[in-house]
Amino acid sequence: MEKIFSIPFLVFMPMLMSFFIMSPFFTSNEISIRRFAKGVFSFHFLYATLMLIFFDSANPYFSQIHLLGGDWVQSLGIKFAFQIDSISIILVALTSFIFLLASISSKMNIRMNHKFYYSMMLLLMSAILGIFTANDMFLFFMFWELELIPAYFLIGGKYSNEVTPDAKKSATKFVLFTFLGSMFMLLGILLLHYYNYVATGTLSATFSDVIDSYIPVGIQLFIAICLIIGFGVKLPIVPLHTWLPDAHTNAPTPVSIILAGILLKTGAYGIYRFNYEMMGESFKIVAPVLAVFAFLNIIYIAFVAYAQTDIKRIVAYSSISNMGLILLGLCACNQLGLSASVFHMVAHALVTAGLFTICGIVYLRCKTRDIRVLGGIAQNMPRLFGFATLIVLASIGIPVFAPFISEILTIISALFSDLSIVLKITSILSLPLLIASSCYMLKFLHEAFFGEKQGCFEKVNDISVHEFVILASVVAGLVLFGLYPNAILNFVGAI
Amino acid sequence: MINDFFNILLPQGCIALFIFIQLILAMCAPLKCYRSARWISAVGISMAIMLLSTVQTEPQYFAFRGALMSDSYTLLFHFVILLCGFFVVLLAKNIVQNMRQNAFTFHALLLTAVLGAMSVVNSNDFLTLFISLELLSFPTYFLIASAKGYQSKEASFKYLITNAISTGVFLFGVSYLYGLTSSLNFNEIYEIVVQSQSSLLYTFSVIMIVLGLLSKLAIYPFANWVVDVFKGCETSVLAFLATIPKLALFGILCRLIVFALSGSFELTFVLAFLALFTALWANTYAIKEKNVKVIFGCSSAANASYILLAASLVSVYNLSTVIFYLIAYVIMNISAFAFLNIAEANKVGMYIDDFNGFFKKNIGLTLAYVVAIIGLAGFPITSGFIAKIYLFSAIAHSGLIFIPFLLALLILTVVALYYYLKLILPLFENVDNGVILKVVYSQKFVLIFTTIITVLIGIYPEKLIELCRFIAYNI
Repeated sequence: MEKIFSIPFLVFMPMLMSFFIMSPFFTSNEISIRRFAKGVFSFHFLYATLMLIFFDSANPYFSQIHLLGGDWVQSLGIKFAFQIDSISIILVALTSFIFLLASISSKMNIRMNHKFYYSMMLLLMSAILGIFTANDMFLFFMFWELELIPAYFLIGGKYSNEVTPDAKKSATKFVLFTFLGSMFMLLGILLLHYYNYVATGTLSATFSDVIDSYIPVGIQLFIAICLIIGFGVKLPIVPLHTWLPDAHTNAPTPVSIILAGILLKTGAYGIYRFNYEMMGESFKIVAPVLAVFAFLNIIYIAFVAYAQTDIKRIVAYSSISNMGLILLGLCACNQLGLSASVFHMVAHALVTAGLFTICGIVYLRCKTRDIRVLGGIAQNMPRLFGFATLIVLASIGIPVFAPFISEILTIISALFSDLSIVLKITSILSLPLLIASSCYMLKFLHEAFFGEKQGCFEKVNDISVHEFVILASVVAGLVLFGLYPNAILNFVGAI
Repeated sequence: MINDFFNILLPQGCIALFIFIQLILAMCAPLKCYRSARWISAVGISMAIMLLSTVQTEPQYFAFRGALMSDSYTLLFHFVILLCGFFVVLLAKNIVQNMRQNAFTFHALLLTAVLGAMSVVNSNDFLTLFISLELLSFPTYFLIASAKGYQSKEASFKYLITNAISTGVFLFGVSYLYGLTSSLNFNEIYEIVVQSQSSLLYTFSVIMIVLGLLSKLAIYPFANWVVDVFKGCETSVLAFLATIPKLALFGILCRLIVFALSGSFELTFVLAFLALFTALWANTYAIKEKNVKVIFGCSSAANASYILLAASLVSVYNLSTVIFYLIAYVIMNISAFAFLNIAEANKVGMYIDDFNGFFKKNIGLTLAYVVAIIGLAGFPITSGFIAKIYLFSAIAHSGLIFIPFLLALLILTVVALYYYLKLILPLFENVDNGVILKVVYSQKFVLIFTTIITVLIGIYPEKLIELCRFIAYNI
C-alpha cells in the first residue's frame, strides 16, 4: 500500500501541472482551466489525506527519500532529500486542504488572467509543500525562495475588476521583507553548514547530520538569531510584521486565505525544524527572549487590530496575534507546547480561511470593507451571519471549537515550562489577552453584521453554494477538532 | 617558436585570420554584402571554438619564453569568452543594419576585442598583459561609439578616459614591482616574492596593479562610467561589454591574486572594501533609475563586486566558486540583453514603462527575460540561485572576520531585488500596448539557448561545479 505514496510526486505534481497550464498547448478557456485546476487540487487533497491515514513514521517510504541519486550539489553536501514526520504530514494535509478551499473560493473572486493565476497557485503549492518536506537546509532554502515568485504575482497581479492601487506596492513590500529575512536565514544556514563541517568533518546539510553541540556557543547563538530573523519575518514577529496587513488586505480573497492559512505557518515550521529540533541548545537560551516577543505579538497587535476599520485588516492583524500564540507554544520547549502549537496552526488556518472568505463575500456583495459603512447586513444575509457568528466565536476561543483547546494548551504548556520564569509570567499575562482578542473579533461581528438595516445593502444576495461549501467545511473542521483534539495531539505526540 | 604557436595559439590565430578577412572585405566588398559580415564572424568564432581542442593544457604550457601560458583554466575562459563572442555576433544584427558601409569594420573590431580578451587570460607576463589589455580596450572604444547619436560618443570618451587613468595606475604599479624584482614574468616574480620578506613597497605596488585592472570590472574608484556607457550603447555592444571584458579581467585577476602575487592581507581588505562600496553604490544608484540599460549596468557592477569579494579571499575553493558564478552570470546577462536587443530591433524604448504589458502578447520571450532577471536576483530553478549560494558559501568559509562583509552583501542583494522587481513588474501590467515583437532566428536562438542553460544549471549544477573545482584545483 505504502508504495503508492511518494513524496516527490506529492511535492512536484503541482509544479508540473503549473508548467502544463502555463504552456501554450493548454487551452485558454477559463472554465476548463478552472475545472482542471480544481481537479488537480482535489486529487492532491485525496492523495495527501490517504497519506495522512496510512502514515507511519517508521516506514522508510516516508523518510529519507532521495532524488537524483541522492546528491544534488555534492561539493557543498547538498542532497535532494525529503522526509515526512508527523508534523510535516499534518501540515502537508492542511496545505492541500486550504489550497482546495482557495481554489473553490477562486470561482467568485478571480475574473481574469485565469491561466497565469492557476499556474502560480500550483507553483506556490509546490513550493510550500517543499518547505514542509525538505530534509536538507539548502533544499529548504530553495523552496523558501521559490515560494516568493508565485506569491509576488498572486498578491500583486490583477485578477478582477476591483481597483486595488496598492496591490503592487504591497506585493513588493512582501517580497522585499521576506527576501531580507531569507538573506539572514541564508547567512545562518551557511555558517551552520560551515561550522558543522569544521566540527564534525562531514560536509552535509541534512538536518539530522547537524550536531549543534560541537559548535561554539557564541556562534550557535548568532546562527540562531539569524535564522529567527529569517523565520520571524514570515511568522511574523512584531517589529517585522508591517508587510502582513498590506499584503493580506490587497491580495484577492483566495490568496489571503493561503497567505494567512499556510504561508505564515512556514515561519513557525522553520523555527520548529531549525531552531527547536536541530539547534535545541541555543533555542533554550533564546526561547525566553522569544517568548517576550510572542507576548508583544499578542498584546500589541490586539490593540492595533481593535483600532482598524477595514474588516480584512482586522482579520489580518488577528492572525499576527495568533501567530504569537503559536510562537509561545514553541518557546515552552516541551512536548505539550509543540503539540499545542501544531494544533493551533491547524485551528488557526481553518479560522482564517473562514474569516477571509467572509470578508471576501461581504466585499463582493457590499463593495466596501469599511465597518463604519457596513452594518445591518445580518438581516440581508442570514446564512452568512450564522457562519460568521460561529467562526468568530471559534476564533475567540469558545469551547466546542478547536482554537479553545489549542489556546488553553499553549498557555498551560508555557506555564509548566521548566525553562525560565519568563515563560510563566508571559503565559499568565497572556491569559487576559484572550479577552482582548474577543474584543476586536466581536467588534468585527457587531459593527459589520448588527445594527440598523441600511438601504444600500438591500439587494445583496446571501451566500452561494460554493461559499456554503467552504464555510461549512471550515466549521465542520473546527467542531471536529474541537470535540476530538486527540486526533492531532496524539499524532504529534507520537514522534 | 613555431611550435609554441601551434601548441597554444591556434584559436587566437584563427580569430586574427578572420580579422584580416573582415578588414580586406571592408575595403573591397560591395555595399550590399554587408549582411555577410555577421556570418563571417560567426564562422570565425566557431572555428576558433573547434580549434580549442588543439590547445595543449596538460601540464601547464609556457610559450614564448614564458610570456604566455596555457592550462585548463585558460582553456575554460577561452571557451566561455568565445561562446559569449559568438552570441554577441549573433545579436549584432540591428547595429550592422544601421551602419551598412561599416559592418565589416565593426565585426573586425569585435573580433579584435575578443582576441584581446583571450590574450589577457593567456598572459604570463606584465608586458603581455599590458598589450593584451590595450588590444581589448581600443576596439571597445569604437564599439561603444558605434551607436547613433552623440550619447554614444560621449560614452566612448568617458570609457576612454577612465581606462586611460586606470592603465596609468596599472603601469605605475608594474614599474614599482619591476624595480623591486627586476622581472616582469609572473613565475619569476612569484619565486622572488616567496623567498624574500614582503615589504610595504611590494604591497603598495600590488595594490596599484590590481586597482589598475578594476576599471573594466566597474569597481568603485573606476565605476562611474557604467551609467553613461550603458545609457549610450547599443544592446549588442552591451552584451559584449557586460560579459567578455569581465571574463577576461576576472580570469587574470584571480590568477594574479591567488597565485602570482601571493595575495597579502592588506590587498584582501582593500579589495573587500572596494567591493562593498561598489555594491553599495551600484545597488542604490539603480533604485531611482528608469533606464533599463543603466539598471543592467548597475547590476553588472554589483555582480562584479560580489565576485571580487569572493576572489579577494584567497583560496582555491573560492576560485572554483568564482568561476562558477562568472559562467552563470554571463549566460544570464546574454539572455537578458538578447531580449533587450529584440525589443530594440522592434523600436521599443529603453525605459521601464516602455515594457508595459509585454506579457500579454509575447509570453515566451517575456518568460525567458523574466527567467534571466530572477536568475540575476538569485531565485531558484535558475543558475543564479546555485551561484549565489556557492559564492556566498565561499565567503562564509573564509573566516569570522568576513561575516560583516557577507551580511552587508546579503542585505544589498535585497536592495538589488527591488530594482529587479521594478524591471519585471511592468511586463505583467494589465494594459495592451499592441506590441508584438518580431524575432529573427539568430536572436531567438540566443535567447532560447541561454535560457535553457540557465535553467539547466539551476536544476542540475553538479557537472559544472565539478568542472570548476577540477580547474581550480589543477591550476
